[in-house]
Amino acid sequence: MSIDFLAIAPEIALTVTALIVLAADLALRGEAKQLVNPIAAIGTVVAIVFTVILYGSERVTFGTMFVVDDYAVVFKLLFLGTLLAILGISWRFFAEGRYFQGEYYFLLLTAFIGMLIMPSARDLLLLFVALETVSIPAFVMAGMRKRDLYSSEAALKFFLIGVLSVALMLFGMSLVYGFTGSTDLVEIAAALDGETASVPLLLGSVMLVIVGFGFKVSAVPFHFWAPDTYAGAPMPVAAMLAVASKAAGFAGLIAIAFIAFEPVADVWGPVLGILAIITMTIGNLIALQQRDLIRLLAYSSVAQAGYMLIPFGLARTGSTAVNEAAVQAVLFYLVAYAVMNIGAFGVAIAVNRRTGLRSIRDYAGLASRNTLLGLGMTVFMLSLGGAPLTVGLWAKFAILQAVAVEITLFGVILAGFLVLNSVIAFFYYLRVVKTIWMDEAREGMPALQPGFNLSVVVVILMAGTVLLGVLPGLVTDYSSVVSLLATS
Amino acid sequence: MTSFYAQYGTFAVLVVVGCALYAVIMLASRIMRPTVPSPQKLTTYECGVEAVGSGWSQTNIRYYIFAFLFVIFDVEAIFLFPWAVIVSDLDATTAISPTFAIVAMFLFVLTLLEGLAYAWKKGVLKWD
Repeated sequence: MSIDFLAIAPEIALTVTALIVLAADLALRGEAKQLVNPIAAIGTVVAIVFTVILYGSERVTFGTMFVVDDYAVVFKLLFLGTLLAILGISWRFFAEGRYFQGEYYFLLLTAFIGMLIMPSARDLLLLFVALETVSIPAFVMAGMRKRDLYSSEAALKFFLIGVLSVALMLFGMSLVYGFTGSTDLVEIAAALDGETASVPLLLGSVMLVIVGFGFKVSAVPFHFWAPDTYAGAPMPVAAMLAVASKAAGFAGLIAIAFIAFEPVADVWGPVLGILAIITMTIGNLIALQQRDLIRLLAYSSVAQAGYMLIPFGLARTGSTAVNEAAVQAVLFYLVAYAVMNIGAFGVAIAVNRRTGLRSIRDYAGLASRNTLLGLGMTVFMLSLGGAPLTVGLWAKFAILQAVAVEITLFGVILAGFLVLNSVIAFFYYLRVVKTIWMDEAREGMPALQPGFNLSVVVVILMAGTVLLGVLPGLVTDYSSVVSLLATS
Repeated sequence: MTSFYAQYGTFAVLVVVGCALYAVIMLASRIMRPTVPSPQKLTTYECGVEAVGSGWSQTNIRYYIFAFLFVIFDVEAIFLFPWAVIVSDLDATTAISPTFAIVAMFLFVLTLLEGLAYAWKKGVLKWD
């Protein structure tokens, strides 16, 4: 039993960093405690270096449980990039707020270790462990503001719904194991393929497993923790939940749906497609009513999860071309979504860090108070809506492209709902933009001090949004690597 | 497949019979018994003493942290025992070298030790 240590080097790097961060927090005092942030950033960069080294190679270790291929590497780079951005927007927020800084960074790194494992996991148990490694620190982080009732409420709701859905998923996994006799994803697919008559209970257990991930990505029947948790949790944690945790859920869902349950795709495909329709429609319609920016972003992230579920609705048993196009569309959408949504949260942190107010009206005249932040929020909002010249347009285009691979009636219906919902979404995104540029700033608002790190993160993400909007080939040309998924 | 549902059928019949039996016994007892209520019959007698205070009582929250730490080190012990049993059998010919086994276990123990140091520094181990 030899372990391929290079294959798990990014995870090891983050683990060591997490332990160093915890030790540093104990050793440092007072103002010096904020130094744990750069330590965490250095560790992340080391992990990124190892991940880049792994690009292009195919490694299998721990039996066949842990696979590092280009698909996994792309996801890991997405997670590590997200981690760097979140570290950037966290610094001032936590340094000023008298929070538990060392614990926050330790938990953040721990959650990201789980995320790094997620796209590599090829075993139900490892997927479960990875999912829990993401969830459990997130429960604690959501309740980081101990003396704030809203934060406690956020943590409690997140915890209770999270535990319930994970219990359902674990029950489903045990039934799947009972039917197929294996926890290995590829072997499950082989066993399901051999099944001639469809067993209702087996299909039920497959749906139970998918439900568990539905909670993680906040698809609609399982979404109602999201707005309260985002609003109550510290804002960088909300950004992490909205982007990284959701991307981790999608990484797990892709592995489990397109590798293990591919032979029954004709069953879960339409179900997830209908979920996608409900998710984006309800998310957008409720977002129209929001006056609180973080809640607006929360419902918008529910709607975005709906868009990302569309390609799952297209999946069909045995049709490799359709399935590959679906996976690529989800992957590209996730990259685009991470860039624009972290940016939006970053600006929200800069505006609201001091005041604690999050009402959209507080953004009145933001452009005149701080042009960079106003411009940034405008770009991110337009991109979330899917305006031309931003990456958001190409993300939606990628989904339509997946629909067009093999045109079916259901696919056209899904595409129709995508277009319809994009129009609805523009209403509330543009209302924020209008508030930023056209409304008068209220008197007596405190001066904005975004801080150096946050400004850098916002500028980079803004540049990324526009650059990928003009040259989407920078990512799409390489996203063909995920075709390895279907063959593995 | 049918036999699978048949097994659950047996279970369902058992549930129905169980409920019916309970209902019949309770109903029969209600019809037959004499009803003469008195306050004395509601007091605790024969076993136990008079209840004092309400059902809600407070327990020191610190027990919960001790329970936490206990579980962590209990699990550590569970991993240590099987390791200690086989580590003496390892030599250069086995798939895992003794050095690897020792280094791996020490990494595990040191990781937990950092947790203990953290708890200590945070003052969890002090009672006052």
